[in-house]
Amino acid sequence: MAMIPDPAPAPRYAPDDPTYRPVAPQPPQAPPPPAKASPNRSAMKLIVPAVIGGLVALSLGVYGNLHEGTLVAVNIAGFSNAIRAKAWLATFAFVFALVQLVSALAMYGKLPGIHAPSWTGTLHRWSGRIAFLLAVPVAIHCLYALGFEWSSPRVIIHSLLGCFFFGFFTVKMLVLSRRGMPSWALPVFGGLVFTGLAGLWLTSSLYFFWHTGSLKF
Amino acid sequence: MKRKGPILTLAAGVVLAAVLMVLNINATRSTPTAAAPTDKATTAATTAAPAPTTAAAVVPAGPPVTYAGNVVGGGATIAIAVKDSKAIAYLCDGRSAEAWLQGTAQNGALNLTGADGAGLTGTYANGVANGVVTAVGRDFSFSVGTVEPPSGLYRASANVANAEVVDGWIVLADGTQVGTQRKGATITSAPRLNLPAKTAVVDGVTINATMLDGTRL
Repeated sequence: MAMIPDPAPAPRYAPDDPTYRPVAPQPPQAPPPPAKASPNRSAMKLIVPAVIGGLVALSLGVYGNLHEGTLVAVNIAGFSNAIRAKAWLATFAFVFALVQLVSALAMYGKLPGIHAPSWTGTLHRWSGRIAFLLAVPVAIHCLYALGFEWSSPRVIIHSLLGCFFFGFFTVKMLVLSRRGMPSWALPVFGGLVFTGLAGLWLTSSLYFFWHTGSLKF
Repeated sequence: MKRKGPILTLAAGVVLAAVLMVLNINATRSTPTAAAPTDKATTAATTAAPAPTTAAAVVPAGPPVTYAGNVVGGGATIAIAVKDSKAIAYLCDGRSAEAWLQGTAQNGALNLTGADGAGLTGTYANGVANGVVTAVGRDFSFSVGTVEPPSGLYRASANVANAEVVDGWIVLADGTQVGTQRKGATITSAPRLNLPAKTAVVDGVTINATMLDGTRL
């Protein structure tokens, strides 16, 4: 595969995407090739991950609609009740998602004057994993105890975003694990995941803290 | 290069979700239910069941009768106090959801309504009340038997530290209490109801509860 060779060793803090260029100042050279579709890299490769992600989102929505919410689920230790536990876990997940956003911006060189240190990639991956794993118990409780709800706009948006969030996250993970993905795939799906989680947090935790007027655990 | 990290992250999420679902199913299975717990199919069964009872039914009249038990599928408890053609029902999950309903009990038919679109329709005969209650945004079907004092439906209403506090308790046949407390707009678990004293302590203040007989709240 023809590629402009990397300049003399620059810190490899970026995800292993061959189309990605290190942000460190480089000696003048020909600009990197535009990331257009080539035989080895094309948007067609997104179809399978997108379908899988779509199936994930659809399955969650179908389960949420068919399952009759039980109003109770297993308790999470350390919180006064399930709703408080979820509101706080979702908030922690959102904080880690913000770390995701900032580290991604740094890696792509979008933060003016900031040079991402070599551990940025590791920070990004692990903050993402923690955010995702914190979101899972919240979603399980939402699905099991409440189900997909249509009773108000806020709840409809939350139910839909919940399905989409896990679908987009699945696609993002699949995109990362394969070769030859178009270079826009990662930022787009990363952005969709972040937006999804932000919307989820706004329609649940923020609403809950605001209306109960209490931030207690 | 294929990376395993993202796939492992997805796998970890799926495993976590599966573990939580198993715990949830166990947690809700251990809640005693009056009938076999299936989700949507039972509604059809319970509406068909009362048909044969209207002819030779023993319709309780005179002394108050309280029907109490868990709803089908678990997750909430209902109590219906009936006396002299009047009825009061209380549905709660003991944590954060409750609904009070009032209405009539005539010729074996129950018809009650409550705030926020809550409604209950059903029948009562031969020591069993069957029906469907719509409250807290969803439908529950129930088939519950009578309970004898001191089991029954209790309510306390007081002004504690400048807040209107209303407590409801359902005391089941085995002495289990399920109750929620509404203070202003917040619903939490109710404090323990002391029987036979019929008192409870809210924010350090002892308040009195009365057993509802169905005629007035």
